Amino acid sequence: MPHFRRILVANRGEIALRVIRTAQEMGIETVAVFSDADRNALHVRRASCAVHLGGSRPAESYLDIDKVIGAAVATGCDALHPGYGFLSEKAAAAEACRAAGIEWLGPPPDAIVAMGDKVQARKIAMLAGVPLVPGLQEDVDADRLVAAAREVGYPVMLKAAAGGGGKGIRIVREEKQLVEAFELARAEARGAFGDDRVYLEKFVTRPRHVEIQIMADKHGNVVHYGERECSVQRRHQKLVEESPCVALTPALRERMGAAACDLARAVGYVGAGTVEFLYSAGEFYFLEMNTRLQVEHPVTEMRYGVDLVREQIRVAAGEELAPVAEPRGHAIEVRVNAEDPNTYFPSLGRLSRMSLPGGPGVRLDSAMFRGLEVTPYYDSMLAKLIVHGEDRAQAIARCERAIRELRIVGVSTAMPVALRVLHNAEFRAGDYDTGILERIDRSLTPERRELAMLAAVAARFLVAERAGAKSADGDGDARQRVPVWSMLGRGERLWRNRS
Amino acid sequence: MKYFAELDGEQREFVVERRAGKLWVTTGDRTFELDLSLVGDGATFSLLVDGHSYDVVADVERDQVTLQMVGERFAVRVEDERERAAHAVAGNKVGGKRELRAAMPGIVVDLKVGEGDAVEEGQTLVVLEAMKMQNPLLAEGPGKVVRLCCKKGEAVAAGALLLEIE
Repeated sequence: MPHFRRILVANRGEIALRVIRTAQEMGIETVAVFSDADRNALHVRRASCAVHLGGSRPAESYLDIDKVIGAAVATGCDALHPGYGFLSEKAAAAEACRAAGIEWLGPPPDAIVAMGDKVQARKIAMLAGVPLVPGLQEDVDADRLVAAAREVGYPVMLKAAAGGGGKGIRIVREEKQLVEAFELARAEARGAFGDDRVYLEKFVTRPRHVEIQIMADKHGNVVHYGERECSVQRRHQKLVEESPCVALTPALRERMGAAACDLARAVGYVGAGTVEFLYSAGEFYFLEMNTRLQVEHPVTEMRYGVDLVREQIRVAAGEELAPVAEPRGHAIEVRVNAEDPNTYFPSLGRLSRMSLPGGPGVRLDSAMFRGLEVTPYYDSMLAKLIVHGEDRAQAIARCERAIRELRIVGVSTAMPVALRVLHNAEFRAGDYDTGILERIDRSLTPERRELAMLAAVAARFLVAERAGAKSADGDGDARQRVPVWSMLGRGERLWRNRS
Repeated sequence: MKYFAELDGEQREFVVERRAGKLWVTTGDRTFELDLSLVGDGATFSLLVDGHSYDVVADVERDQVTLQMVGERFAVRVEDERERAAHAVAGNKVGGKRELRAAMPGIVVDLKVGEGDAVEEGQTLVVLEAMKMQNPLLAEGPGKVVRLCCKKGEAVAAGALLLEIE
């Protein structure tokens, strides 16, 4: 008997397709939802049914709870998968599902609320015995501050409570600077955020971002599937993820896994979740819990031979968790975002051509197709390239090889940056931290520059040569006589304008 | 045929000749043997440089050649002699008007100025949103907005003219 009859997939892009694939394998029908911009999207074409939600802006479509739940009710769905982003961490959406008698393939609304509030999440974590970055959060005054800083050890950070994204942070290295820095930080915070609350935290040197994948069923069982290291990031946007994390010992891994499971139990968690930690010098500290499936979940799937979406569906249907298999080998994921590799500005346009990697140990989760328009309305991620190898060295080599095979024409991607990461000495040694992307050397070798110039000059020459051949032939149909024009479409227009 | 290529600030001169079906490309005191072959009807080429094989996707738009090869993306400017001469002339002209163009496609979420407004250097003129990021576009220098070419809420393409400052 199938677990559910029909699942509404309340998302778009690769994750919608990812969920549809597993549902199909489980004999469950799928209902896609789509915005104006996504009429031709692959998730619409691959689903059993599809419902148009409205305008291209997320607020008019994928973020509109009434429309999404309405579509699920109208199509007779008995479950809803929120994917990541959009409604996935909105407790109101989970509530609305419950009210409509539809199973939400995620945690209960209370767990979403508890973990969504960062202050509350910290308190719950502390009560559950999960380590936090030591510091002083409340009732901060000069005396208490000095005492707290002595306890956690220097350097320490002073952070504006209302700050974020790196703003309002001050690093203090010695006690004699602390009180003065505190007063300055307060004045700054008042000026910048209209809120002068400042708190103290230990300054974690060379932090790594390490997260634990957990899964809980409705019978009180909680398991973890080890860790993923996601330190290759810029402004909290992850680019390369891997598992296992080279820095962890088996004992540390078990401690982190147990802490993550304890936190899940503390909030009555059900389904898939990720507990994010900062790791530094043998210590780990709770960052936050993401109450949904993560983008990088395939890294875990490759190592543990598990289908996490399938497990989500099974536990939501009331089944017990399957035992966790022994992990094997090493997995790496690279996010293929449509962006300029130098500025990281989004690169929009039409995906005119692509060729995709294959071969042993390569998985590509994508919703790309030829003709896809990359629009400004949504996230710029086009695909995720995931590789698995017997060990880390093989996984790195395989990842490089697969990136070279991947060709996308029409928009640019940050794949050149990913290649540099894979080549980087720190990364290869496994001795890196969240600052690695800023330290990556992006310069080209003289050999590479020369090769690129040679190729470019030759391409330009070929275009001119074909144009000359055509012009010598008189004004016949260029497309028929000179097929090279149809491929160099823009060159053709240029040439015609000139003639 | 003589070309001037520029990449990452490096400029070099190349001379290309076709002999016996091959391209002979000379730069400085070295000559390379190139075999550039179109694959299918696409923009894909097989390139052999002195026998070394490269799979290349090339897009040629006037003097802008964009390449994808060896896992990298290169934007090379390749001018022929005539274009080089024309650019040298254009470079000497001084224009009174400055254009603000969209550096990327996006949605105009805010227009901070109107026609006739005086603006100062560094002042935010337009806020362009692309993929959840709001990007303020700033005035490069002082002047007066003489023409507005976009509306709030409008989706604009990369390179679209947003406004003119004099």
